[in-house]
Amino acid sequence: MVIITLQRAKCIGCNYCVELAPSQFQMSKKDGKSVLLHAKEKKGFFTIKSPDKTIFENSIKAKEACPVKIIDVKQV
Amino acid sequence: MTTTGKIELMAPAGNFESLQAALDNGTDSIYFGVEQLNMRARATINFTLDDLQEISNRCKAKNVRTYLTLNTIIYDHDLTIVKTLLQKAKEADITAVIAMDQAVIASAKAIGMEIHISTQINITNIETVKFYAMFADTMVLSRELSLRQVKKITEQIVKENICGPSGKLVEIEIFGHGALCMAVSGKCYMSLHNHNSSANRGACKQDCRKKYTVIDQETGVEMELDNEYIMSPKDLCTIDFLDEIVDAGVKVLKIEGRGRAPEYVARVIKSYRNAIDSIEDGSYNKEKVISWMQELEKVYNRGFWSGYYLGQKLGEWSKGSGSHATQKKVYLGKGMHYFPKSNIGEFKIEAYDITLGDTILITGPTTGAQEMKVKEMFVNDIKGEKAQKGDSVTIPLEFRIRPSDKLYKIVENKVEA
Repeated sequence: MVIITLQRAKCIGCNYCVELAPSQFQMSKKDGKSVLLHAKEKKGFFTIKSPDKTIFENSIKAKEACPVKIIDVKQV
Repeated sequence: MTTTGKIELMAPAGNFESLQAALDNGTDSIYFGVEQLNMRARATINFTLDDLQEISNRCKAKNVRTYLTLNTIIYDHDLTIVKTLLQKAKEADITAVIAMDQAVIASAKAIGMEIHISTQINITNIETVKFYAMFADTMVLSRELSLRQVKKITEQIVKENICGPSGKLVEIEIFGHGALCMAVSGKCYMSLHNHNSSANRGACKQDCRKKYTVIDQETGVEMELDNEYIMSPKDLCTIDFLDEIVDAGVKVLKIEGRGRAPEYVARVIKSYRNAIDSIEDGSYNKEKVISWMQELEKVYNRGFWSGYYLGQKLGEWSKGSGSHATQKKVYLGKGMHYFPKSNIGEFKIEAYDITLGDTILITGPTTGAQEMKVKEMFVNDIKGEKAQKGDSVTIPLEFRIRPSDKLYKIVENKVEA
């Protein structure tokens, strides 16, 4: 299981996560911030839990590239 | 010296504390960022859309102009939020937008919002001024121009009658005080290259402020450098030649520092306010300059230089990564209650101690940054001279405080040589 979390409010809209993990992230055309696709929100944290382990590698790249460190990726 | 009208003093407002500090110390205008599209996007202290009306109301009550900074590079996915920000700013009666990207300039023009051209555009000549006069009434010139070049531009504006959309002559703004960086007009790639963190999206990681050595890759020989901080310039300070800036026809003086503390804003704005007023009434002199410089040295600085305004002086690099401030603040506790009839404030001491005669600083979103000496105090309701962690202290104040305001004491900062 891969768990990805995005603390969306702090996003500065740099677009790196979309470049590195386009199947997980998309830029919102409404507010210019990153959207973690199919995520559930709780207190400003957007989370997805996916059984698809192939998304791990790209998501980790997005996490490492994020200049404001608001992406977290775990494999459990 | 011939004065060409009073210069506008523009203060940075990173949050409500700094905003209030700027208002209390006599600023003519403030600039601020909302959400992510400004050059201090990394700061968590940025205002949100919901704060626009409050910012506008507070400033209008003091006849202070408000400028929204929307001066990062803009991507396609930002275009809607750009329009939303501009529309909300216009609705809240914000005076103008400080813009860099043509998309922002076009969107602001479309809704009739006053436009100021950011230093990020890097204006260095009169033809560029003419070009942007189609859109903007105020333009920040490149930080790398000399004062002689600035003066030529302002003279040419008058001579050629270059007017902005308002029909008035274009006004020239320059940076007056605060951080300068290595890059031409802030257009730097270093932070993006090293950390994916673009300075041009307001997320500079300030690698230039760090200590470096130069190593010859072939031999491994480490080059000795007199000063390891080879990319970190000192901070700009113009208070000692502000009369020349006024004489150069500059209309707006911008103080850098949206990431700085409210007491920084308070002290810098107060000093420049005094300097501008002194130029106006003819009392600007060396003695005053010395005392203002001492005031400015008390708060965050990397040492001062005059930038490029008086010609290019090379080697004006900072001697350390941190501040050279002669004073620092130490957190003591928080405000609990204010008794308006007796003008007394109650504080809870949570760290260190407070002694009669200490200089204290109280900051808060409505209080701003207020400094005073403690002349009298009560410790746990008994008249006392010293209070410690856990004590409740009441102090007669010259201003109103609010619960949750923060209490600090100001102490000497030993600067490393």
